[in-house]
Amino acid sequence: MSRTEAVVAVELLDKRFGATHALKAVSAEFRAGSVHALVGENGAGKSTLGKALVGALSPDSGTILLDGEPVELRSPGDAMRRGLVGVAQELSLLPRRSVVDNLVLGMEHRVGPFVSDRANRRFASELLARSGFELDLDRLVGELTVADQQKVEIARALGRDARLVVLDEPTARLSSHEAMALRAIVTDLAAQGTAVVYVSHFLDEVLAVADTITVLRDGSLVQSTPADEQNHDSLVRAMTGRTLDGIFPTVEPVAPDAPVVLAVEGLTRPGEFEDISFELRAGEIVGLAGLVGSGRSEVAHSIFGASRPTAGTATVDGRTTSGGIGHALGQRVSLIPESRRDQGLVVGRSVRENTTLPFLRRFRSAVGIDRRSERSAATNACAQADVKTESIEHHVGSLSGGNQQKVLFARAMLADPTLLIADEPTRGVDVGAKRAIYGLIADFAASGRAVLLISSEIEEVLGLSHRVLVMKEGRIVGEFAGERLTETNVIQAAFGVDARTTEPPA
Amino acid sequence: MTALVPYLRRFGIAVVTAILFVLLAATTSGFLTGSNFRNLLDQQSTLLIAASFVTITMIAGGFDVSIASIFVAAPLFAMQVENSTENAWLAVIVGVAVGLIVGLANGLIVTVLKVNSFIATLATSFMVFGSGYLISDRNVLRSSTDAFPAIARTRFLGLTTATYIAVAVVALAWVLLARTQYGRHVYAVGGNPEAARLAGVPVGRVQAAAFAMAGGAAGLAGVISSSRTLSALPSDDFSFVFGVIAAVVVGGTSIAGGEGAVWRTVVGAFFIALMTNGFNLHQVDPIWQRVIQGGVILGAVAIDAWTQRRAT
Repeated sequence: MSRTEAVVAVELLDKRFGATHALKAVSAEFRAGSVHALVGENGAGKSTLGKALVGALSPDSGTILLDGEPVELRSPGDAMRRGLVGVAQELSLLPRRSVVDNLVLGMEHRVGPFVSDRANRRFASELLARSGFELDLDRLVGELTVADQQKVEIARALGRDARLVVLDEPTARLSSHEAMALRAIVTDLAAQGTAVVYVSHFLDEVLAVADTITVLRDGSLVQSTPADEQNHDSLVRAMTGRTLDGIFPTVEPVAPDAPVVLAVEGLTRPGEFEDISFELRAGEIVGLAGLVGSGRSEVAHSIFGASRPTAGTATVDGRTTSGGIGHALGQRVSLIPESRRDQGLVVGRSVRENTTLPFLRRFRSAVGIDRRSERSAATNACAQADVKTESIEHHVGSLSGGNQQKVLFARAMLADPTLLIADEPTRGVDVGAKRAIYGLIADFAASGRAVLLISSEIEEVLGLSHRVLVMKEGRIVGEFAGERLTETNVIQAAFGVDARTTEPPA
Repeated sequence: MTALVPYLRRFGIAVVTAILFVLLAATTSGFLTGSNFRNLLDQQSTLLIAASFVTITMIAGGFDVSIASIFVAAPLFAMQVENSTENAWLAVIVGVAVGLIVGLANGLIVTVLKVNSFIATLATSFMVFGSGYLISDRNVLRSSTDAFPAIARTRFLGLTTATYIAVAVVALAWVLLARTQYGRHVYAVGGNPEAARLAGVPVGRVQAAAFAMAGGAAGLAGVISSSRTLSALPSDDFSFVFGVIAAVVVGGTSIAGGEGAVWRTVVGAFFIALMTNGFNLHQVDPIWQRVIQGGVILGAVAIDAWTQRRAT
């Protein structure tokens, strides 16, 4: 096989998750001996494409070609047998087993019916030697640092004699010199004739390691070019070039004498966020931007009273919120959590029950709940939030993503909060629902409430916020308002251009 | 067929039970008689008392096997009190209190120590069975008053007081689950604990209360049982909880939590009871009855899993 022949090609790959169109007719080729980077904003579809390549999810339509032959990858195991191996963003190791056991998992050397410890150890230490990682073979994987766990995962992929390896955010948890070492391994891997697919947020890293860079945006392939034709700015432009003109409502300016609603001072939870301080005034929408994992949601949870800070305070109308969630609800703080299915809704129950869940006390009557007043309150709130459902008795799980999200807004309406925290309020909803949700957020602020808006979509943060705070690695690294509130400024602060590549190796 | 699935999923067990009822009524002499039904109700009373509250525990995401041990041990405590004080009502209170205390302990172990509920209640089961032997000195205890047997055995309009008590307990559990704030919280906690927590629901308290109440109900069931039989016997017998869980699960309450209803458990209990009743009237070998019953429970759970898969 020639070095440039495509090992794997995808043609017109399409994938939907409910209302989200995650991949739109994407076609690309991945060549032996080449590092092919996939970049894009959160939710652009790069991880989805990576997963489709290794059988971790099956596309709705389109073809995956292996050596020119169409294949159906029924499972990750199936893909692995064909030489297509993924290293997942979320680690998939056995924490209670040793490094050796994890490295040989699924391909244990055997003597007759018995597992041969000696052969397994030899294989594992060869593998580590080849990859240049130093790890204690007998340690339990759960006791290793996350960076070391990542090494185990990568070494394991090497051991599969993979023809194509998908690395999804491989350096997200590594320190800078470890990331440097990984880069060498990736280059090595490609030099040995493997096709490497490299999914990453870190543009400078991608520019340094990749031969080809493909940019995805909203599930579509924007461009696929040799890496040496690109630079940091051209990639950012390609990633964010979308226009969402007209989707954002007019946001009223904040009254100069508006009172402070939320005051956060030195809020700290080690490992999550540190020394967070800011204020939020009535009628103000403040965006909290930053990459996934930068600590945005953790700060929100702490302000909401869902986790206790080790230092610092968050006060709403002068009273602390660290008394727990019930307390925060009493102070009229509403949280629309990041994941509506995991943290927001009880999907097996009705729209009505989901809307009123935190406020059942209000509908208490002699025998349990006064259903009539509950129903009318829920109906009202759902109408205000523009929830489209035939009946509020329908299961919330049967609604579209956008309407599910609006149910959470209906819940917030019932709370009548002075502070609304909306964490990724439009994740996975279609454009129409986005527009409606933006309207709701603007109305909340216009009626004199404070809104803290967390979002990975830069346009959303820019389009709605009076002021934007940018978080990186648990700290606020930038604050932008007025003329300085531009896409470039926010993105550069969020991506931290770029400590990782400029820092000398240790 | 596809359109029928949600409907069948909702009321399937009720439909099947009704069919079974008609079938037995048509084919079996002695089935459609007042005395057969009165007996059926009386026999199901203890199971229904416990199962209605175990349903709540299960919907809240807990699994309680200690019900059997409370059912065995609580009446031994009650009987000792009755024998020494001659006060039947005090005996009932003690029996229920024993159940409540064990249930509360289960609840705290599960929610505070975060021990898996199956393992936690299995462990407390052994302790409670043991306490039954200790309090009774390994003897069968017999009632010494007329008032104690009267609690379950008095007849009123043809039905035993055990039946009335069961109806009252079922109604209480039903209203609690379907109509109150607590009931809503139970569904939320079992359906999505993180969403419930972020909505301000006191997740631990809701679960602990469910275990405590199920324990109390099992204590009452044990007392009613010993009142019916005039005696209480120490043992290690887990079979009561199997009957209870079978009724709950056959009714369609999900062992994964978040879904189910008290009426389902009532229907599930009667489905199993009617089946047994029919077998007995047809003189089917009791050993074969078990085999078939096992198959039916498996079928119910498999259908549940299948419809769940289709729903998503």
